[in-house]
Amino acid sequence: MRALTLTLGQKLEERYMSRHLAWFFLAVVMLAVSAPLQALNYEVGGCKTGSSYVSFTTISAAVVGVPAGATIQICPGVYPEQVTITQPLTLKGIGFNNANRAVITINPNGSLAPNVTSSINFVAFYAQVLVQNVNPAGPVNIIGITVDGSGDNAGCSAEMLAGIFYASSTSGTVNEVTARNQVNGGCGWGIWVENGAASSQTITIENSSVHNGGFDGGGIAASSVSPPTLSSTISGNFLSNAGLFGIDDSSSGVIAGNVLTSVAGPGIFAEVDPLTVSANTVADILGIGIETKGANTVVANKLSNVGDSIALFPDVAATIKSNTIKNTFCGIDFSGGSNSGTISGNTLNDSPYGFGNWFGPTIGGNSLYNVDNLQSTSGSCP
Amino acid sequence: MQRTRLISKHWMLFLLAVALIAAASPAQAANYEVGTCIPSLPKFGSIQLAVNSVPPGSTIVVCPATYFEQVTISRPLTLRGLSSNNQDRPVIAAPPNGLIINVTSITGANVAAQVLVQNVAPPGNVNLTGITVDGSSAEVQGCSVSAELAGIFYASGTSGTINEMTARNQQLPSCGYGIWIENGAGPNQSITVENNSVHDVTWEGIFAISNQTPSTLAATIKGNFVNGKVYNQTKDIEVNGVSGALTGNVVTGGFQGIINDGGPVTISGNAVADISIGVGIAIGDSSTVTSNKISNVYTAFLFGGSGLSPGPTVTGNTTKNTTYVVMYNCVPNVTVKSNTFNDSEFGFDHVPTANSGLGVNAIYNIDTVQTSTCP
Repeated sequence: MRALTLTLGQKLEERYMSRHLAWFFLAVVMLAVSAPLQALNYEVGGCKTGSSYVSFTTISAAVVGVPAGATIQICPGVYPEQVTITQPLTLKGIGFNNANRAVITINPNGSLAPNVTSSINFVAFYAQVLVQNVNPAGPVNIIGITVDGSGDNAGCSAEMLAGIFYASSTSGTVNEVTARNQVNGGCGWGIWVENGAASSQTITIENSSVHNGGFDGGGIAASSVSPPTLSSTISGNFLSNAGLFGIDDSSSGVIAGNVLTSVAGPGIFAEVDPLTVSANTVADILGIGIETKGANTVVANKLSNVGDSIALFPDVAATIKSNTIKNTFCGIDFSGGSNSGTISGNTLNDSPYGFGNWFGPTIGGNSLYNVDNLQSTSGSCP
Repeated sequence: MQRTRLISKHWMLFLLAVALIAAASPAQAANYEVGTCIPSLPKFGSIQLAVNSVPPGSTIVVCPATYFEQVTISRPLTLRGLSSNNQDRPVIAAPPNGLIINVTSITGANVAAQVLVQNVAPPGNVNLTGITVDGSSAEVQGCSVSAELAGIFYASGTSGTINEMTARNQQLPSCGYGIWIENGAGPNQSITVENNSVHDVTWEGIFAISNQTPSTLAATIKGNFVNGKVYNQTKDIEVNGVSGALTGNVVTGGFQGIINDGGPVTISGNAVADISIGVGIAIGDSSTVTSNKISNVYTAFLFGGSGLSPGPTVTGNTTKNTTYVVMYNCVPNVTVKSNTFNDSEFGFDHVPTANSGLGVNAIYNIDTVQTSTCP
């Protein structure tokens, strides 16, 4: 009897509990409804089907249509569009049906007007993939996609062309990407990342293939204000016929394990310090292999068939160690200045000039073979 | 008294030993010089005269200058380039009256070798370091279709190390070799070719061959920089029938980068680039190809050989910017796995039945993953 009789307090408590239960069930229902949205996959191109996928017909539609932090899979195909990414996400090329190349190309019917101005050099760019004003803050990652610049012939007077452009205040990783044919009458870059803002950003460019760039442009540029607020890691990339510069870096960070061939030169231009340039292979360059403007560390690189293998701006305190240089016109060019850093453990073989434009005392601690002039004070190096 | 005699006897023996060492050491460790850059050393007017005259095991240093001669070395010794007066390049160049054919290879080819190592007695290593061998303007007397030009030639039965040399301009039409090493029948030999610069040759940068099974030549070819020219159809490095390792070389230009025609050879850690119409690494029987970086080439890997099991393996390599990644050439029993391939028009071509690279490699940006099938 007692069990069947509810006190007023018990009734109130029961109502209270029921109310909570109702809220609980409502929450469960809402979660059940919303969970599929959270767990959905996103694809562009139609190669992935089924209830777990949300499909988009263009990459541009996808990058504005998915939740922040999503991964968008891009099916093999050609996507003639200009993509602007303004939220953190991952863009990833996938394989399907014996094909494995998603290519973003110039839209033949679209505008070729610039869509971003660099905050570093104030040049107007036409960026094929632009990462800009990312909100909420977070990384934008691009993996396994080809960006092809064929068809932008607006020319240098109109704009600079970039395959991928990370604007100020953005971060992320570019991995296993191909950037090619950013020519534009000579003014093209495969990948350009920059930060002109005061707050620091980190960008990684790795394992990518960059080739056939503009003669007045280059392969990869990492640009920053001074002192650098951009920390970049440029590693494991392969660049060939990439234009004037292979890698032009005015950020802080590391340039490591890249293979650069057949660029005009410099292959690697380390514009500021501190930068570490290590274990790169640089070959088949008429101009300069590695050029350092600051007190940078250049270590364990392999250079061959290069005009001027390593060039220092005058009077910098660079560390040049354990590099191997073969078949070059000038081994290390001091540009008429002195160097208060370390030049040691380098091996030079097969060069008309070893240490060029050097007015200091005899440099020891290196191994030189088959060098016509070990040390030269004249402007002998190219 | 007895103790004094004992000490004297020991003292005499000690003095005798010292005298013997003193007498022997000039012959064992003496340095000799070609040129006049070190006044204290015994001098020779030519490299050939020096290598004919010094005791076996000697070191001959060669002063910076150009030596117009064809050198044959037939005793164990070390020939080393020297720096002097801000110069560091001794050059062996073709004599004005041309080169003579001075060796017949185990391949049957007649070769005019600028530096020939042959019939070394007593047996021992011949080591070359820090000298340039330049084939510019080399004319071969009696040149015929079968005549070849080689900068450095280690003939059958020889051993040693070729280190930090430069071989350049061996440009006899279609038959110039920078460095050629070989061994036929007879005892096994070991030759190391390391840290050299080889360029502007018309046919092969570095060539190693044994015509014996099992191989009688163990070749280590490492840390070399070879640059070929496509119009010369250069094969940058080729090994045929040898055992050993090709490691850490930088190979650019030319028609084919690294070739193993067959033999237990490991090809690892090399960078191969800029071979626009040819092959990065051509792979014959018993090859192990690992951790190489290949870029800007037409075909990264080309299989050949017998197809017998176990076949060659290709693992852990990286390719970028190629037209074809792997031409299987319908050769069965090959393994291609755990590689990373990015940026190619075609992935796997003429894949033999039941042997596919699909799914076991990381691939990105490949237009057509698999092309023609095999019968």
